[in-house]
Amino acid sequence: MDNNEPLYIERFSVFQRLTHLLVIISFLTLAITGMALKFAMEDWAQWIAYMTGGFTVLGALHRFFAIITFFYFFLTMIMLYTKWQESKKSLIGFVLDPEGLVPNLNDLKELIATVKWFLGGPRPYYGHWTYWEKFDFMAVFWGIAVIGSSGLALWFPELFSSFLPGWGLNIATIIHSDEALLAAGFIFTIHFYNTHLRPDKFPLDPVIFVGSMTVAELKHERPREYDQLMASGELDKLTKTRAPEAWLTRLSAVFGIFVVVTGSILVVSIIVTMVKYIHF
Amino acid sequence: MANITKYLSKILLFFFTLIAVSFLQPGNSLALTNDECIECHSDEELTAEKNGKTISLFMDIEIFAGTVHADNGCVSCHEEADVKGDEHPFPMSPVKCENCHDEIAEIYQNSEHGHSAADHHDKMAPTCKDCHTKHNILPPTNKNASTYPLNIPFTCGRCHREGSEMTKTHELSQHNIVENYSMSIHGKGLFVDGLIVTAVCTSCHTAHNVQKASNPESTVNRDNIVETCNQCHVGIVDQFKLSVHGNPDNTTDKKRPICVDCHNSHTIAQVDRKDFRLIIADQCGNCHAHESETYLETYHGRASMLWGGEQTAKCSDCHGSHNIMPLESKKSTINEVNIVETCAKCHPGANQSFTTYLTHATHNDREKYPSLFYTFWAMTGLLVGTFGFFGLHTILWVPRAIIEKFKTTTDEKTSKDN
Repeated sequence: MDNNEPLYIERFSVFQRLTHLLVIISFLTLAITGMALKFAMEDWAQWIAYMTGGFTVLGALHRFFAIITFFYFFLTMIMLYTKWQESKKSLIGFVLDPEGLVPNLNDLKELIATVKWFLGGPRPYYGHWTYWEKFDFMAVFWGIAVIGSSGLALWFPELFSSFLPGWGLNIATIIHSDEALLAAGFIFTIHFYNTHLRPDKFPLDPVIFVGSMTVAELKHERPREYDQLMASGELDKLTKTRAPEAWLTRLSAVFGIFVVVTGSILVVSIIVTMVKYIHF
Repeated sequence: MANITKYLSKILLFFFTLIAVSFLQPGNSLALTNDECIECHSDEELTAEKNGKTISLFMDIEIFAGTVHADNGCVSCHEEADVKGDEHPFPMSPVKCENCHDEIAEIYQNSEHGHSAADHHDKMAPTCKDCHTKHNILPPTNKNASTYPLNIPFTCGRCHREGSEMTKTHELSQHNIVENYSMSIHGKGLFVDGLIVTAVCTSCHTAHNVQKASNPESTVNRDNIVETCNQCHVGIVDQFKLSVHGNPDNTTDKKRPICVDCHNSHTIAQVDRKDFRLIIADQCGNCHAHESETYLETYHGRASMLWGGEQTAKCSDCHGSHNIMPLESKKSTINEVNIVETCAKCHPGANQSFTTYLTHATHNDREKYPSLFYTFWAMTGLLVGTFGFFGLHTILWVPRAIIEKFKTTTDEKTSKDN
């Protein structure tokens, strides 16, 4: 790699990048419209309702992007099914693939190694997915199941109360709203920091938008994946010299930073509000 | 001859009687006639000095001829003017309406206006002429009368509109009353819809017996308001008197609401307008604080606080308004025999199970709602756990990442320098 022209390797396919775009747009809208209702007594929530055209519009947007969420959940399942078919592994073998998205024992070791790194040890030998990236993925999976099912109950309360008690809707409200608080709070602080705002990426890691990263970056950040690709001889097949299109990089920066700023403003509003209501 | 004498004496007696009776008539032939007064007072330029001001003494007899007092002689009110010759005393003492209108005068003298005038010597306190005018007194059915319903808010408003001399110098419990009235459902009824049966100032406050609301005799006192509104809103008051709030048989020490507690007196709103719907929870919450607060925690309440949120269910949508009955009553909208129908007003598919939704739920009450309490704390635990773990993770990461960044930058610099 002494060449001045850096080599690039694809990390996210076009499908994955578009899915993440759908996730961003729908999640951000769902968070804004939902939090406006959860914190309706606050000025900022009332401002959101006023600016968007009112409570009815908030409800319509929330339900529309709920459908989008179910849609990308469905798309992701199809993608995973296709990947499973391509891998020619058994279902269990695919799901529990050591380099797959399901956390395993190695992640626990990596977590311990990471804490040691934080405290001055060597940088851990990370692979294709780190444990916090696996957590992000699994959290969205889990989150959609929990928020989605409780949200459907609240969307169709008459139907759900035909086989659940009416007070189940009160429970569903608490679960929906607190799980959403967890999701929004997590994405707009922990995910933003882990992925974009940490000093080595600040203000944005564009790889999720542009798709590729340099091989040098891969080698530094994910040494195990780099070594695996070198060992299997696949690295040369996957690399290319063409950098991501300049317009795409620029657009990702503008869009990404807009989303990060918007999410941060929302989460700051939520934190300020929650602190206000804490009584000791 | 005796017959002729008898005949002549009868004729004489007739004339004497005629003359005697004529003394009893107002404006009698011996008193000054209006024509005689007008000889001088029809002069438009006739003026005099009174209290240092020049006042016109002109009297338009044609206008007077159309008023309720047209048949009265000038001197029946201006008694001191009834003198022989061209000059009468000037200035004369004020006209005494009570000479004829004694009953109304007595009511007026006991009113807040009357007391202010007589006891407090308040120069701004209205007397008869301030509301009824002096010479241009028309029956209240006449559109030009100052007491015609369409004109009453202006008549009272001369003193009671915000910013007048009276409002500036008197301490009043209510403000902007004319403006608020004009914007209210009653004001709209009068000014926009032109309904003269709409309540105007005097409908509630009476014309002559105006009293402060704190006076137990006042028509706008808490104890009398329901009856005052009942003058027009008979059907509503009938319902109200059967309800938990208005039933006189319902003995409770708690303060019970009257019409104006929900429908403010002068700002009385149109109940289907959003400004009214959005304050219902606050109004009921004045007494039912816990129910109001817990309602505001639920979906219905939260949505109510947002722009456009007037559509979601408010207290009255489920409980009714004037006809609120105790829960045990079969007539209550939330009694189990009616509640499905009540919910179905907005939720057409409502069923019995649906109605067990807790509309005043709070997760802060472990005794009453244990399932909500534990769900909330389980979720809170999940949040605290997740944020605690990853928060610590990030806090540890930040200094390491900064050190690494600094090292990388230094390395790059060193390699470039080399």
